Amino acid sequence: MEQVGFYFNAKRCTGCKTCVLACKDYRDLDASVSFRQVYEVAHGSWAQDDRGCWAHDCFAFYVSCACNHCSSPACMEVCPTGAMGKNELGLVSVDERRCIGCGYCALSCPYHAPKVDRAVGHSAKCDGCAERVAAGGKPICVEACPLRALDFGPIVELRARYGRAVDMPPLPDSSITAPNLVLSLPACMGEDADRVFAEGMVCNVRELV
Amino acid sequence: MTTGFATAFNEITLVLFTTLAPSGAAAYAIMGAAMLWARGDERKRVGRALLIPFLVTLVGLVASATHLGNPDNALYVFSRVGRSPLSNEVFAAVLFLSASGLHWLYQFAEHARLRVLNALMGIAILASFAFVVSVALAYSSRTVVTWDTPFVPVALCLNALIGGPVLAIAGLRFARWGPLEGKAGWALLALSLAALVANTGVYVAQGANVLSLRNYLVSAEQLVPTYGAMVVAFCALAAAGLAVDMAGLLRGRGVSKASSAAASALVLAGIFVMRFAFYMMHMTYGISL
Repeated sequence: MEQVGFYFNAKRCTGCKTCVLACKDYRDLDASVSFRQVYEVAHGSWAQDDRGCWAHDCFAFYVSCACNHCSSPACMEVCPTGAMGKNELGLVSVDERRCIGCGYCALSCPYHAPKVDRAVGHSAKCDGCAERVAAGGKPICVEACPLRALDFGPIVELRARYGRAVDMPPLPDSSITAPNLVLSLPACMGEDADRVFAEGMVCNVRELV
Repeated sequence: MTTGFATAFNEITLVLFTTLAPSGAAAYAIMGAAMLWARGDERKRVGRALLIPFLVTLVGLVASATHLGNPDNALYVFSRVGRSPLSNEVFAAVLFLSASGLHWLYQFAEHARLRVLNALMGIAILASFAFVVSVALAYSSRTVVTWDTPFVPVALCLNALIGGPVLAIAGLRFARWGPLEGKAGWALLALSLAALVANTGVYVAQGANVLSLRNYLVSAEQLVPTYGAMVVAFCALAAAGLAVDMAGLLRGRGVSKASSAAASALVLAGIFVMRFAFYMMHMTYGISL
């Protein structure tokens, strides 16, 4: 089976959230649901030295994240009906005719990808814009990104082009669900990755749904 | 600050389900055993009073079904038995309800065969054990760091061992089961008390191990800032329930119907508090809101 995945470049992303809104518009999602989200990871403070000069040790970067169409998806493991499944491209999606809307997928996904849409009574999530991909296009978020910070394609090709980095805050350790994701890490991780892992926190929690 | 209150409140029907159903099933098993030993009219009375734990379990199950977005597809749940913990739970629940429901109906047959009744009861008791264990394991998702601990299933089984005997005392009191006034009543209270002590220990250990966990958004301590107070409330409510039953037995006139019902309500309220805390505590390894 072929496996497709996403690429995200944290050096380019400015946190503009065009990807989020393009997805919401294309999938017609209301304010309470978002299949892609942008996390602002930051830490540090400003301090004044003896001579009155201000200096800071802050770092901050943005992470745009949707479903990573994992190779060991937690959502599929716990789904009691088999409604959560992978298609021939390895894209994870919900079979609405089987889903009972129990919400277990939403509780177990460490990427916060599936949501239970109470209005329609079943889970809903990023399906990698399966229809657009089948027609030879890319997911709407990828094409909407004005910074070209996102890409999509066969994961083998993405890894050949962009490398194999896949771990950075706020994402869970990639060994847990084997996400099909490739990252270009933010500059601050090149300087002191240990500090970013130890101190980085998501600072825009109130923006998230 | 983000607490887990909204998560727990959204899952309030599951809080209710996991409070009522395990204790109801445990009470059913205890009363079922009492019925197997009883003879004559007493057996009939206990058999009919089995409706009480059956209904408590059923109310829990109905509550859990109301949180489903699309119950029309529920039959697909059986396609993943053995692979999804939630499928196992539903399967065990259906087994338990079928056996206990059949027993309930068949006991009113004009010429009910004792062997069939006993066999149905045996199956129902075994299914009740399987059901409690399946509920305990239903939330063992390896990605939910605060739930994927031994404390969670052990605490849920102990919940059933606290609530089950107290609810069984109420059911057996309604059935006017003789031995309840004597050693059997005390034995059930002792079982419940021992489970309460053990369960409190498990909750303290859970707090010590789990509250310090964090991901990049939140810590478990932030999610359940009232954890300590909730454990104290659980202990106080459950102990008050046991004391109500105990006072009745100490007076020597047995437990009254009203006080046995009040005792059950207090103990279940205590369990409810910690089930609420459980859902507040939900946190994955990565991003969870």
